[in-house]
Amino acid sequence: MSAAPMPVAVNTFREAVRDRVLYNLVFFALLMIGAAILVGQISIGIDRLVIVNLGLSAISLFGLVMAIFIGVGLVSKEIEKRTLYSLLAQPIRRWEFLIGKYAGLVLTLVVNNFFMTLGLAAALFYVGRPFVRTDAVILVSIYFILLELALVTAIALFFSCFSTPMLSTLFTLGIYITGNFASDIRGFGDFTKSPGVKVVTRVIYYLVPNFHNFNSIAAASHGEPIPLALVGQNTLYAALYVALLLVAASAVFSHRNLK
Amino acid sequence: MASIAVPLLFATVAGLQTRIDAETRSIAQKSDEVLLRSPAAIQKMSFGYDSLLADIYWTRAVQYYGARFAKKGATFELLWPLLDITTTLDPKLIIAYRFGAIFLSEKGTGGAGRPDLAIQLVKRGMAANPDEWHLDLDLGFLYYWRMKDYTSAARTFLAASKKPGAPQMLAVTAAHVAEEGGSLDTSQMIWSEIYESNKDPKIRERALQTLQALKAAQDQLHLNEIADEYKNRFGRYPASISELRSAGLLNGIPVDPLGYPYVFGSDGKAALNPDSPIVIPQDLNGLAAPKQ
Repeated sequence: MSAAPMPVAVNTFREAVRDRVLYNLVFFALLMIGAAILVGQISIGIDRLVIVNLGLSAISLFGLVMAIFIGVGLVSKEIEKRTLYSLLAQPIRRWEFLIGKYAGLVLTLVVNNFFMTLGLAAALFYVGRPFVRTDAVILVSIYFILLELALVTAIALFFSCFSTPMLSTLFTLGIYITGNFASDIRGFGDFTKSPGVKVVTRVIYYLVPNFHNFNSIAAASHGEPIPLALVGQNTLYAALYVALLLVAASAVFSHRNLK
Repeated sequence: MASIAVPLLFATVAGLQTRIDAETRSIAQKSDEVLLRSPAAIQKMSFGYDSLLADIYWTRAVQYYGARFAKKGATFELLWPLLDITTTLDPKLIIAYRFGAIFLSEKGTGGAGRPDLAIQLVKRGMAANPDEWHLDLDLGFLYYWRMKDYTSAARTFLAASKKPGAPQMLAVTAAHVAEEGGSLDTSQMIWSEIYESNKDPKIRERALQTLQALKAAQDQLHLNEIADEYKNRFGRYPASISELRSAGLLNGIPVDPLGYPYVFGSDGKAALNPDSPIVIPQDLNGLAAPKQ
């Protein structure tokens, strides 16, 4: 692969920083401070649990909002501002441009998650809890959140290649919700006696990205170990799905008439 | 202009809100505090944030219980749905089973008075956390203290003693319960286990209070025996502790666990000093004296 996507990625990251996207970190910090101070006074025995659950849920939710709302504008914004034309006049292919855009947003999410992880660690330290070996599960959980966000970004980018930002947001959210209910959809099929419905629900189950795979917040909050095999399988699953989406997005975008 | 208008409008809005609050207070009191009662539905709608939702529901359960605790006429009908949702969302939230069982089983103004639901909750916790011996201890306690089912209590304590990390003392407790269920010293043993096995200050305080009451009840039984002996000798009950001392039946002045001297009532029975903060609950009076 050529180094052409690199400048696009760096510029996407810079643009996100310029757009004050990382300001969400301030809100995250306030949330963590508030939770650390308040929770002991309004509940019983869950100080640490709340910090871990709230921290990881916030990392996931903030990331999700960023991945969707910035992701759907990655291509359409360039077209709208007409900057895409000058970019494509450079020696860069359309798929390289897409990879660069994708990498730039994922980089933004990684940086964002890194600082949020620091905030979470500080909040845990504040509630007077020494770090133990099982805390490694929290890091694994954050890694899973990143995999999930990478996948959501790829979905948003895919829709962004041929649809308006509004519709892309709806499509991405739709896929995300469906992906969360994937096992239930399969379950519905198992309930029915119709073999046809069973096949259809099973196909949907394997077709939509199964976001439930990446949910390990509960395990992290209780310090339950996550098998190494699952880490590998989830990494591979996300990588394959992202590759699939990027290839599809490149194919669509390469054939798109930009005139 | 804006610097005056904005705060002014905010103040007006805040004032209006207090009016609306007053207007809707009666409606709010009537409204259900748990809109969705299906734990499974809530879990499906949590989008993977079920453990955070569990924390929120647990906090709501604590707040709900706290707002009604020790209030005359208060009911706890939403306690079970809240605990049901909490433990479905996070089956590993041990604290919800342990405290929830207390909230549900306590009688009168202290809880829902539903030991059957408390047992159901703890059993659910045991199924989800098979190695957690604290839950077996709580179940045994519920059988012993609330249901007076000493056979089930003994069996549960014995099962708890075999789990990893459980104190061996639980096996002794099981034997005591099987042999002498319902006695004061067996109850003391179980409450001591509750005291020792809990880190939470509120539960420890409750256990300590009961241990003090049990000790006082035991002391009173002992003093009553001495008073009976005094009556055999002198044909009447003693009017005070000093009469027992003069008769050579007591060496010193017996005091309760908080240091207050016991007194004798007009019926000749030993009683707590009126100044003593110790309260002996009604259900303790039914417990038998230890075997000699």
